[in-house]
Amino acid sequence: MKNMHGILFAYSSNVRLKELTEHRTASSMPFGSRYRVIDFMLSNMVNAGITDIGVIMRENYQSLLDHLGSGKDWDLARKRGGLRLLPPFAYAGTRRELSTYRGNLEALYAITSYMEHIRQEYIVLADGDLIVNLPLEEIFESHIESGADITCVCLGHESGVEGGTYLRLGLQNRVREVLLSGLDEKAYPCIGVYILSKKLLEKLLADSAKHNGVIFTRDVLQRMQGQLNMTAYIHKGFSTRPQSVADYFKQTMALLKPDVRKDLFNRKRPIKTKLRDEASTYYAPESHVKRSVVADGCIIKGELEDCIVFRGVTVEKGAKLSNCILMQDTVIREDVDLSFAITDKEVEVTKGRILKGHESYPIAISKGSVV
Amino acid sequence: MKKECVAMLLAGGQGSRLYVLTAHVAKPAIPFGGKFRLIDFPLSNCANSGIDTVGVLTQYQPHELNAYIGSGQPWDLDRLDGGVHILPPYIKGKEGTWYKGSANAVYQNMAFIEEYSPEYVLVLGGDHIYKMDYAKMLEQHKKTQAGCTIPVIEVSQDEATRMGIMTVDENDVIVDFEEKPAHPKSTLASMGIYVFTWEKLKKYLIEDEANPKSKNDFGANIMTSMLKGGEKMAAYRFSGYWRDVGTIESLWEANMDMLSGEKIDLSSPAWRIYAKTPTSPPHYIGDNATVSHSLVTEGCEVYGGVFNSVLFNDVTVEQGAYVEYSIVMPGAVIERGAMVKYAIIAENAVIKSGAKVGAPPEVFTKNPDEWGVAVVASGVTIGPGKVVGAREMTDDDLL
Repeated sequence: MKNMHGILFAYSSNVRLKELTEHRTASSMPFGSRYRVIDFMLSNMVNAGITDIGVIMRENYQSLLDHLGSGKDWDLARKRGGLRLLPPFAYAGTRRELSTYRGNLEALYAITSYMEHIRQEYIVLADGDLIVNLPLEEIFESHIESGADITCVCLGHESGVEGGTYLRLGLQNRVREVLLSGLDEKAYPCIGVYILSKKLLEKLLADSAKHNGVIFTRDVLQRMQGQLNMTAYIHKGFSTRPQSVADYFKQTMALLKPDVRKDLFNRKRPIKTKLRDEASTYYAPESHVKRSVVADGCIIKGELEDCIVFRGVTVEKGAKLSNCILMQDTVIREDVDLSFAITDKEVEVTKGRILKGHESYPIAISKGSVV
Repeated sequence: MKKECVAMLLAGGQGSRLYVLTAHVAKPAIPFGGKFRLIDFPLSNCANSGIDTVGVLTQYQPHELNAYIGSGQPWDLDRLDGGVHILPPYIKGKEGTWYKGSANAVYQNMAFIEEYSPEYVLVLGGDHIYKMDYAKMLEQHKKTQAGCTIPVIEVSQDEATRMGIMTVDENDVIVDFEEKPAHPKSTLASMGIYVFTWEKLKKYLIEDEANPKSKNDFGANIMTSMLKGGEKMAAYRFSGYWRDVGTIESLWEANMDMLSGEKIDLSSPAWRIYAKTPTSPPHYIGDNATVSHSLVTEGCEVYGGVFNSVLFNDVTVEQGAYVEYSIVMPGAVIERGAMVKYAIIAENAVIKSGAKVGAPPEVFTKNPDEWGVAVVASGVTIGPGKVVGAREMTDDDLL
């Protein structure tokens, strides 16, 4: 399984993620008590035996650099291959004035010199802000077996995911039609993970440059449909790419369901993240916790119901929290009453404060704020 | 490359007083405090004290320990120069023996120490729980120009009868010491750690080796001959938390101590205890769970009651299961309706539904000597409805 190379697009952001992406890109948003979003695709690749991974970033990448470091927490600090961070200084294109890439093809043009040195025959392209636990090894095997030019990873059409690209499939999951928008009951949502050969990718890039192609789905998949043999791999598990604060909240809360946890935290394909050397979480006698996912290094003295708690969080006594997401090092003081809220890193909610959001509009408190 | 101080960590003891817990693993590799193993304490203290060259002397059941230490990366001891080194006994020419005692273990590795031409050598144990800045002790050792400095803690008269007791003069220079004295002359107990001026230690190690009657032990032999030889031996007063966890009882008690952050703070960023941690997801506390005065860590799934207990990674406590005053090591499963009280459940053990392990001391008020912590060894299954009584230990499935 050493014949595959990973490329992650980690530059994108979404204005609707507001406070959550104030200091970071969507790929480095905290997710699921102890992870950053990018940990999922990165671990999927590592778990499939991929040893060489390039991560494309463009702006606001301080937090991502800090998180990834040398890549040692994913076993990617290697002499041969390993993790390569690809910030924009490598970009020799003409669009320097824009702060972000307009699409993933444009991002790939920017790393042509990197691509020349890829030693593997196949490449997996994936978005860094995708939260999923994929059996990439199996997907690669099915790519080889099917003889397809490109394998696109899709969800089942019952998944009801909105927005993005859809595929209409024929026999043996051959791609018949590529739709760029509009939920279609018979179409399969495409999650933005593709396997193709390096040779083909280079050729497609050269071709689409002539047409000023910018977006892979539109300018490659759709334009080339009928000319290329494209197959879909249908993934049955949980997958999400949070689009807004409310969506982030909803997708995070899905972790309270045992089947979602079992799928996303599949023990055979563990999601790795940056280590923090925390001690265990302490639950005081006066604490009261129900249906909550909690990371290490927390001190819990208050009440939690349906909460997602990150590393190093303190909840003092008398505090009552329900349906909250508390990110790293949040401090909740005595007698705070909080529901449907997201506290970003290092937020402090002072004694007795009452904050109540709603499922449709959870309150997001920016990194480092004191309420 | 020269190093001012090299640490030698004695990790070869059998740990026979831990019975079934050390049947398949060296004592320093025993899980402790929810996330750690015993050896994490001296290794982290070294890293935090700026000592970057550590020799780990192993001999008994070393595989798990060797695999655990690996390159030393979790403790920041993967160094180009120095770092952590595993030192098992080996054949030298036609000769070669097992480590005969703690002093002999260091004697056999004199060549390792000499490679760094250190001025001082720190000798550490692998079964003590404490946070200590060795640099401060080394500073005192240099200032007093002692040949050996031994950290000591103040203990009660009663405890003193079970420990190595140091008698000191007004300048904290050791004038006498006794092992487990019936009538202790002082209440300063040795912490089982030594700083030596290497030139001095080397001389005494060579002499000790030449003495066929010696047991080659630091406490019993090297200390005695140094004191007789008129070397200056100083006590270094330590006031923090320190526990020897060489017995089932003390291991259990020290784990219980971790529950209140007041005795020793394992989460302080100023002096972290590092560990090699497995990749597990965050833990989950279920709908009908009650968790009180307990430590829970990654990979755990808690649906039952957990009171005054330490759960290690990937432990499952099913609904209706009850765990109190217990230590549940990685991967163990406590099934529906099982009761675990005052017990140590080792790695990957399974307590089937309705089984009972251990009992509270209240039951033994008339015969307190019959009470003790129950132990289920690693990988053992206790069948449905089976009972492991207080103080009992089992290394075999009970089906």
